[in-house]
Amino acid sequence: MPGLVGVFHELDSAVNAIGELRRNRFGDITVYSPTPRHELEEALEAPPSRVRVFTLFGGLAGASFGYLISIWASKYWPLVVGGKAIATWVPYTIFAFELMVLIGSLATVYALFGLSRIPRLTMTVGYDERFSQGHFGIWVATTPERAKEASDLLGRHGAVEVRHES
Amino acid sequence: MATTALDPRPNIPSATVRLPAVKDYEQVDREIIGTLKPTLGWFALLAIAVLCLLVGIAGWFYQVYSGLGVAGYSPPVMWGVYIITFVFWIGIGHAGTLISAILYLFRAGFRTSIYRCAEAMTVFAVMTAGLFPILHLGRPWKFFWLIPYPNWRLLWPQFKSPLVWDVFAILTYFTVSSTFLYIGLIPDIATLRDRETNPVRKRIYAVLSLGWRNSDREWRHFTRAYLFLAAFSTPLVLSVHSVVSFDFAMALTPGWHATIFPPYFVAGAIFSGMGMVFTIIIPIRKYFGLQHYVTLNDLDGAAKMTLFTSLVVGLAYLTEFQIAWMSGNQYEQDYFWNRVFGQWAWAAWIMILCNMVLPLSLFSRRLRRNPAWLWILSIFINLGMWFERFVIVVPSLSHEFEPWQWTTYAPTFVDYSILIGSFGWFFMWFLLFCRQLPILAISELKEVVRPRLKHGGGGH
Repeated sequence: MPGLVGVFHELDSAVNAIGELRRNRFGDITVYSPTPRHELEEALEAPPSRVRVFTLFGGLAGASFGYLISIWASKYWPLVVGGKAIATWVPYTIFAFELMVLIGSLATVYALFGLSRIPRLTMTVGYDERFSQGHFGIWVATTPERAKEASDLLGRHGAVEVRHES
Repeated sequence: MATTALDPRPNIPSATVRLPAVKDYEQVDREIIGTLKPTLGWFALLAIAVLCLLVGIAGWFYQVYSGLGVAGYSPPVMWGVYIITFVFWIGIGHAGTLISAILYLFRAGFRTSIYRCAEAMTVFAVMTAGLFPILHLGRPWKFFWLIPYPNWRLLWPQFKSPLVWDVFAILTYFTVSSTFLYIGLIPDIATLRDRETNPVRKRIYAVLSLGWRNSDREWRHFTRAYLFLAAFSTPLVLSVHSVVSFDFAMALTPGWHATIFPPYFVAGAIFSGMGMVFTIIIPIRKYFGLQHYVTLNDLDGAAKMTLFTSLVVGLAYLTEFQIAWMSGNQYEQDYFWNRVFGQWAWAAWIMILCNMVLPLSLFSRRLRRNPAWLWILSIFINLGMWFERFVIVVPSLSHEFEPWQWTTYAPTFVDYSILIGSFGWFFMWFLLFCRQLPILAISELKEVVRPRLKHGGGGH
């Protein structure tokens, strides 16, 4: 969908512009900032990240696999020492723990990539190199009929540049 | 038009940090990216590191050709410099994870400016440590036999062996700490990509940044993922050195068979890593003129952490003696007597002086805020912690149960060359890292800098 991108020098101008865009029911807003800011997150009222779900299931899968592989391999290839138990959960908790951390961490990274939609081979519309330096950016998807309204709104809030992109 | 004044709140990891000399985001980019330009001093240091590495490689080839006997091992002292140096480097790595993960969870302000350096140090230290178990093998090309995988031999490793625990712990630690480092680097690499003018380097940075574009969606998932990685790394760092300590504590050898080993090793690891952080960060701070980022307050905070871990380590030393004394076990008591007043007294007293006595100077606020003293002290800590591992490994093996087995141990030139090579390997990677990627975290430092405001008052 075509839209507009507004480049802002100041954080509060960007926050106010987001607020008004949302009040005026503009859809799909993306905000760019050089560093994460609570103010922007709160203005957007974005839902909490779902990364945690992947972390939980990754951790549980890793712990289960750690116990499974060590118990299965011990029974498959028994090393009998002095009548001691062949498979014993106390030392095998080390494998469960390490694999919980390993698989849980990798699942977290997978979730970060998947939910953030990276790796991305090309830059999407609306990105500007200034957004990684000191400027804040607001991309808003609009129909051609509301483009003028959105452009005026961004300009009123102090955007140093507003441009159409599609 | 509805406008509201904004009082920007500091972001999470940096609640108490103030950097008054840093005025805006652009200054952070300019000054940190400025550290990436190669200089003559950097080339000279890299050449020294590579030379040291070549010395180590030559020593190793000689050992592979001649056999492990040239490394100074003879029964019963079959562990020496390699295991000492393995534990030493694993320990160095621990402070990096402590600073980047544990202090992140505790919201310690002094972390922000030093964590990237410490995190890189962790990855390279674990890469160095991981070489030593392989170097110590008579047939190093068979090292992968320790990894459980379906194979035509139908063999599986002994899952009750601490050496197999080590493989899991260290591979997990290396994977998670390098992932943690890379994830934290992605936004900074994107910044480098956007500032770079050389098309080849720009392309490389574009690939490494994975198309990161600083959007709210990316930041939202990034901050959450980073928190969980920190939460995983925190128990991991405690577990890894505990598992390393099991290599010793599971044996019945006097001086090793003690339940105190896991916490003792973890505290020692963090202490030694803090020493290496000072050894590295203080010259970087001075050389690149980054005193307004790595402030005296940051060094002060890190020095307090060092003092605390030194006290824990000192307590562990004394507790070992108390346990030996109260155990009534003659072998244990003899061993500890021999350690401090006998054959190995010189090593034990170097350890006590460097790790227990000299760090007490950090009770002085003036010395905590004196970078020159902190750097000198850090060298003593590195030395002392290497000797701590020497005192753990060698005296136990050379003074076991049977008097006829009592012997001595002296490293050979092969041991020394591989020890030097390990420093060359570590510093080579570190120097390459700090010329290609930002040594201070750009995006996290920006969280500390007050953003530009139109209506908030006091904006820059």
